[in-house]
Amino acid sequence: MGETLLTTRKLSNHFGMVCTARELSLSFEKGVVTSIIGPNGAGKSTLINLLTGHLPVQSGRIDFLGREITRMPIHRRVRMGICRSFQVVNVFPGLTVEENVMIPVLSRSMRAWRPITRVSRDAAGREEAEALLEKVGLSGVRGTPASSLSHGDLRLLEVGVALAAAPTLLFLDEPTAGMNPVERERLLGNVRTLSREGKTTFVLVEHDMDVVFSLSERILVLHRGELLCDGTPEAVRSDAKVREVYLGEDVSDLFRYTRTEAE
Amino acid sequence: MMQSVVHTVLAGLSAGMFIWLVASGLTLIFGVLGVLNFAHGSFYMLGAYMCYTVLRYVGPDFWVALLIAPLSVCIIGYVVERWFLRYVYHLALPYQLLLTFAFVLIFDNLAKMVWGAGSVTPPDLSTLNGTVSILGRNFPVYNLFIIGVGPLVAAGLWLFLERTWYGRIIRAASSDREMAASIGVSVPALFTAVFVFGTWLGALGGGLAVPYVGLVTTGMGETIIIEAFIVAVIGGLGSLKGAFLGALVLGVLTAFGTRFFPAFDMFLTFILMAGVLLVRPQGLFGTAR
Amino acid sequence: MTESRIRYAVLAALLLALAAVPYVSGKFFVYLTMRVMLLGIFAVGFNLLLGQTGLLSFGHGAFYAAGAYGLGLFGAYVTPNPLLGVAVGIAAAAVVALLVGYLCVRHTEIYFAMLTLACGMMVFSFVWNARSITGGDDGFIGIMRAPVTLFGGLRLPIGKDSQFYYFVLAFFVLAVWVAHRIRISPFGLVLSGIRENARRTEYAGIPVRKYRLSVFVVSGAFAGLAGALEALLESNARPFMAHWTHSAEPVLVSLLGGLSSLFGPIVGGAFFIAMREIIQRYTENWMLGFGVVLLVVIMAFRGGIMGAVENLFGRRSAGAGR
Repeated sequence: MGETLLTTRKLSNHFGMVCTARELSLSFEKGVVTSIIGPNGAGKSTLINLLTGHLPVQSGRIDFLGREITRMPIHRRVRMGICRSFQVVNVFPGLTVEENVMIPVLSRSMRAWRPITRVSRDAAGREEAEALLEKVGLSGVRGTPASSLSHGDLRLLEVGVALAAAPTLLFLDEPTAGMNPVERERLLGNVRTLSREGKTTFVLVEHDMDVVFSLSERILVLHRGELLCDGTPEAVRSDAKVREVYLGEDVSDLFRYTRTEAE
Repeated sequence: MMQSVVHTVLAGLSAGMFIWLVASGLTLIFGVLGVLNFAHGSFYMLGAYMCYTVLRYVGPDFWVALLIAPLSVCIIGYVVERWFLRYVYHLALPYQLLLTFAFVLIFDNLAKMVWGAGSVTPPDLSTLNGTVSILGRNFPVYNLFIIGVGPLVAAGLWLFLERTWYGRIIRAASSDREMAASIGVSVPALFTAVFVFGTWLGALGGGLAVPYVGLVTTGMGETIIIEAFIVAVIGGLGSLKGAFLGALVLGVLTAFGTRFFPAFDMFLTFILMAGVLLVRPQGLFGTAR
Repeated sequence: MTESRIRYAVLAALLLALAAVPYVSGKFFVYLTMRVMLLGIFAVGFNLLLGQTGLLSFGHGAFYAAGAYGLGLFGAYVTPNPLLGVAVGIAAAAVVALLVGYLCVRHTEIYFAMLTLACGMMVFSFVWNARSITGGDDGFIGIMRAPVTLFGGLRLPIGKDSQFYYFVLAFFVLAVWVAHRIRISPFGLVLSGIRENARRTEYAGIPVRKYRLSVFVVSGAFAGLAGALEALLESNARPFMAHWTHSAEPVLVSLLGGLSSLFGPIVGGAFFIAMREIIQRYTENWMLGFGVVLLVVIMAFRGGIMGAVENLFGRRSAGAGR
């Protein structure tokens, strides 16, 4: 469909004897909401860690927008447009909600280097931060330190900080874990809208099959570091290998799922 | 030339052994307790002063003094850990460092009050003054003895940590405190024991230094703690192997520096340290974090 | 609105009080106030590193010394112009900080502390040993206070302490203002991001190491300014300035005063110098007394003096930071 954003070639990773990524050759296209699923220990987080630079690549190669980024440091990948959120909340606890999103907003320009001007007088930056907080539903708590937010708000902020970097390709690592249904709906709504706007392409790691099947246009199934299946939700649901792997785990979720949304 | 080089190496090795004795205790304490102890140099200094005191007021037998002095300093180490350090393990790094720094100030000042601001000279230790001819030049037997003591301590430590039950517990506690606690070890008691043992190593170094240096000053602790820090950085923080090797290299390098480039002796050390860190930021035997 | 007005009023009153010191008090108090301001400059810059960025350096004495010797050497061999000398001192400190920082900023926490300590002591031993340049353990002596020439013609003598006081005061105000602006600037916000969560800051697209190095150099420059001013005040530069026990002073006063506010380190510095004077009045053993006070402060009030004051009044610090 769209242009290819990121491709990997024979990406592999081992922790001791355990293989967490085996010769993964994948590509991610612009605008296609993708979910990565698989049993625990399948290598989902490892894959994100490799693609975003959290883990050094042991073998294989990664290209993003036509440039090799295999060994590029994290912050330069972010500047090129790859960002992520974390499974465990990983924000700036001592800073206010607004300051949390201001850091990525400022870092997109050289403004972050200014040592004498005031953050509070940076109208453009604050406006952008405000719009973002409005979008994720945190503008009511903009002055609260992150450390005193509720768990659900923290999860929203986690995604908000990642979005504030204005990524082209955004990996969300279990974004809805621990959210109540209202917060979850808000977040998923955001993903849909932003995805439709077309600036950001989302790739999610999810356990919740409701989320996976209602949101994704493409699903990657990983198992023990290998790519088991890659296709549309329908194709994945009817794949024999996937059934085998998921036997006894998440079975009800995966196979009793029926698409309830009218869309 | 050959003679000069060999003698410089030997002098460097014996100097390095003192650094090793201080660095070993420092490293052990850091490895297990996670605290970097500025006051460790003070234990070295106190070891030397106590050794002097025993020689002066108890009896002129150096070996007896060497037995008593470090043990007496252990009492001070016990007090420091049990009544002070124990309460700051959970605090941020700067507070821990400043607490041990406060003890540096206190011990330095106390030493000045007890033994005077200048240096003190121990009574006659001429029985230790023998020399032996190496390549036609005399070398003090005592320094050779020191060169022997260092590896002995290293071997002893290694055997203790690798081969004994207590050693295994200590290693377990240094990698995972909860695990050690879960198998029924009293972690606070273990920490105290390790700290006191580390204190003993430092004080032993100080005691051994008395015949070597020939005088005792309050400044001796401050100098050696810096060298021990540098050694710990070069060797990789928390690594005894690294500390041993680092101490030898630093000792020898400083000896060459003092002999051949007296104005820049520490500068060689700096170049060594910078070089090691540029290639291996975690130090020679440090594990990458 | 009113709160900020009150704040401005308090600041103005403090400034007036500081400006009045040479008129209303004796020589010794003028001298002590200058020492407090020097330590304040040193510590306020240092706290950009410790309080703002979360990096603990034990080697800032080296940059202090670089400032002092930089000014001294420039004054002796080029021109005794004090403003140029201070500029050279700051530049020298920044260069040394750049070299040391380049080696150290890959590390954090205790590794960073040890490395900066070791590097600082290297500078100390260099200063101590290179007698022909630095005067060795005697120090670099005979630094004079030539008059300041402003705008081509205006000559302001700073020879007397009561005159030099205003020279120090001007730099003190400038330094505090710059530190304040850095704390509330985008750069400062990024620094507090690094303190709070360095990994996440990288994922905000920030080259963390470069920022660490930059703030290290900036705080080194503050140390250099303090060192250059001390060289003018005492008319000498001494190796002790680079010694690690001197590097411990800003750590100490920052923790004493409190890390999270701009004025914490200054309050801590005033407390430190006042206490030293008081203890020294009664006993020679001020190190012992100070060590004991330090023990008590660490064991009892961890938030520092400012933290204790804030707790007393039950309000959070108004500044940026935590």
